[in-house]
Amino acid sequence: MAGAAIELQALLDATVDAIIIIDQYGIIERFNKAAERLFGYPEHDIVGKNVSSLMGDEHRGHHDGYLRNYLTTGTANIIGTGREIEALRRDGSTFPAALSVGEIPNTQNPRFVGVIHDISIRRATMAAVRQERDRAQLYLDATEVLLVAIDADGLILLVNRKGCQVLGYAEAELIGRDWFEQFIPTQDRAAARAQLRTTANKTTASYSERLVLTRRGDTRLIAWRTTVVRSNQNHALSFLSSGEDITEQRLTETQLRARESQLRAAQRIAHLGNYEYHCAIDTAHWSDEMFHILGRDFSEGPASYDLFCLNYLHSDDRETYTQQWRSLLSGRESGDFEFRIVRPNGDIRYVHLLAQTARHPENGSLVITGTLHDITERSLAASNAQQMQEKLAHVGRLSTMGEMATGLAHELNQPLTAIATYAQAALRLTAQADTEEDVKEALKQITAQSLRAGEVIRHLRSFVKTHIAKTEPTDLNKLVQDLRVLADADARANSVRLVALLENHLPLVEADTVQIQQVLLNLIRNAIDATGPGMEGAREITIATRTIDDTVEVAVIDHGSGIPAEIAENIFSPFFTTKAQGTGLGLAISNSIIRAHQGALGFRQTPGGGTTFYLTLPTLSGDDHER
Amino acid sequence: MKDKAPTVFVVDDDDAVRTSIRLLLRSVGLPVETFSSAQEFLDNVDGDRLGCLVLDIRMPNMSGLELQQRLNELHHIIPIVFITGHGDIPMAVEAMQHGAVDFIQKPFRDQDLIDRINQGLEKDRINRDDLKQRDGIRERIGDLTPREREVLDLVAQGKANKVIAGDLNVSQRTVEIHRARVMEKMGASSLAHLVRMVIEANRA
Repeated sequence: MAGAAIELQALLDATVDAIIIIDQYGIIERFNKAAERLFGYPEHDIVGKNVSSLMGDEHRGHHDGYLRNYLTTGTANIIGTGREIEALRRDGSTFPAALSVGEIPNTQNPRFVGVIHDISIRRATMAAVRQERDRAQLYLDATEVLLVAIDADGLILLVNRKGCQVLGYAEAELIGRDWFEQFIPTQDRAAARAQLRTTANKTTASYSERLVLTRRGDTRLIAWRTTVVRSNQNHALSFLSSGEDITEQRLTETQLRARESQLRAAQRIAHLGNYEYHCAIDTAHWSDEMFHILGRDFSEGPASYDLFCLNYLHSDDRETYTQQWRSLLSGRESGDFEFRIVRPNGDIRYVHLLAQTARHPENGSLVITGTLHDITERSLAASNAQQMQEKLAHVGRLSTMGEMATGLAHELNQPLTAIATYAQAALRLTAQADTEEDVKEALKQITAQSLRAGEVIRHLRSFVKTHIAKTEPTDLNKLVQDLRVLADADARANSVRLVALLENHLPLVEADTVQIQQVLLNLIRNAIDATGPGMEGAREITIATRTIDDTVEVAVIDHGSGIPAEIAENIFSPFFTTKAQGTGLGLAISNSIIRAHQGALGFRQTPGGGTTFYLTLPTLSGDDHER
Repeated sequence: MKDKAPTVFVVDDDDAVRTSIRLLLRSVGLPVETFSSAQEFLDNVDGDRLGCLVLDIRMPNMSGLELQQRLNELHHIIPIVFITGHGDIPMAVEAMQHGAVDFIQKPFRDQDLIDRINQGLEKDRINRDDLKQRDGIRERIGDLTPREREVLDLVAQGKANKVIAGDLNVSQRTVEIHRARVMEKMGASSLAHLVRMVIEANRA
């Protein structure tokens, strides 16, 4: 073997690629060791066979065509470039291979050398890579997160499907565009760029929330996490941002916060707090206003039941409160009660508590929910109004007494006159014989008349003393009879006769005795004035009681001059009077007293002339009566 | 009836006051009759009975003043002692103008009341004696001027001053002056007394 031939053989044997030499007809002449391994043929079995037997069905036909084409036209489809083929092993299996072909020049009988490289591993690797890439793309696209990569200049390198969808552009329209110029609102642009520069120096992801402009012209609020991608020299090459569209979420949060703050404001204005108390674990949830009402610091949290009772309840109301609360714990469905609380700074507040019991949906334990309303101002106003009304009523009584002074003086003068006269008569009689019985009678009368005078003074004092309004079940017949000591005095002094017409078995009414007497006395005074000297009609005034449905009426009937139509409408107005010495308060005060009793005060014509003033008060129902 | 002893008639609506006065007057031996209202007295009054009326000025239905007026209209000349309360002075003055003997304020000293009652009884006696002296009455009428005589006749007919002024074509004030002079000259203690004198004088 010549030296060259030996070297060739060594080369052929050493190479890892299969090398096959064929003649111009495709007949195999040489088949190296690597080819033997690759195709499974020993060299002696394959030499002399057509090279097409080493190719898969797809390439077999083409091969002869390529060869013929090259031989006739000199145009090589393959030489120098190589192509991928499907190679066929002896056992019938195939594998991908890269084929490169070279020509061994010989004008008579050109031959060809083919180098075949098994690329099945490369193929598999590439397929795996492709699959991996496809899967990554799928992830990118499937995620509801926006992914945007920009380079150091802010030009868009990558954007995923969600990004396109949110921004409203196709991917192709976005790549290469300036992110900041295009998608960040003008006023935010500088800040966004500055933040990117900061991010470039950080090793961790940075968080930001930014508005982005969309093709549709609206803006979306995106929460971004941005990481920096660095070169080997640690230069920031690009920035990868993942973003979440939080527009709706933020809107909902904002609305929720607004609603909560509205509720807080409303509770503040109304002084109304709400609570939820979980009995089993003695734990409460309080609205802010609960803390305000009780003067408790937010940081302390809601008070436990014991703490509340001990530190906040007014000691006078503790028993009532605990009693009410216990009844809720032992089955009553709802509660509605008022009590006082004492704030840590000592302020006393009046509160109104509503409570509703329910069962916990999960563990069935008792939950009490409700509201606490600070009604201090209202309570004080009501009690002030009541005090004012009492004062006014007192002034009214004093004024009435003033008008009645003549009558009262007369009424006291009568028993004094009788006493003096009896005493003087007795003195004269003692000087005479057989007068013992007369003297005894005189002394008896003196006693009786002294008591009579005392009675007038007692009624007078109880009528004019300051008085705290207090209602109780009242028999109006008895009230009228008690009133007569004073009323008769006034009537007698004005030469008027007072007659009482009282219905039997009159139902009771809830009334303040002194105030109702005051009203009646005032009506009687007016009736007496209407019957005064020079007035026409009978000098008689009737006080009549009767039941009308579920009210009791007391009427004061005079036969005086009546009320002219032109003043009738003003008659209950304060300071309206037709009397020279009148204050004009009598009927106005009477009206306010009767209204405070849920009753009515009015007047009508007396048949045959004169005026009838009447008041009606609601009767007590059976239940009220028992109570 | 006329020969009955002079009686004190007490009219007061207050039982205690009325009864105590009755006891007082009985203790000094005066005959007393009591009435609880003006109407009751009117219903039982006998103009010929001698005596004196003790009258409460304030009473329901008919007051003391109203009763005095009614008695005047009926030409009863019984002298009246009014019992008044404090503050009743204007009414008391009016009562005096209409011929009351006097008034006394409650409460009163027993002797004061008894003195006034005695004055009233005395006055009643004089008035009634005087009415019997027709010559004396006619003599006094004869002393009147013609104009005074005209006024007396018209007053006796029950005419008011205003009407008389119209009839005589003089002022009301002039009538009042003439009338006062007539009362004075005739010695009349009240209008009723004056009218009774005219009636007596005209008796045949």
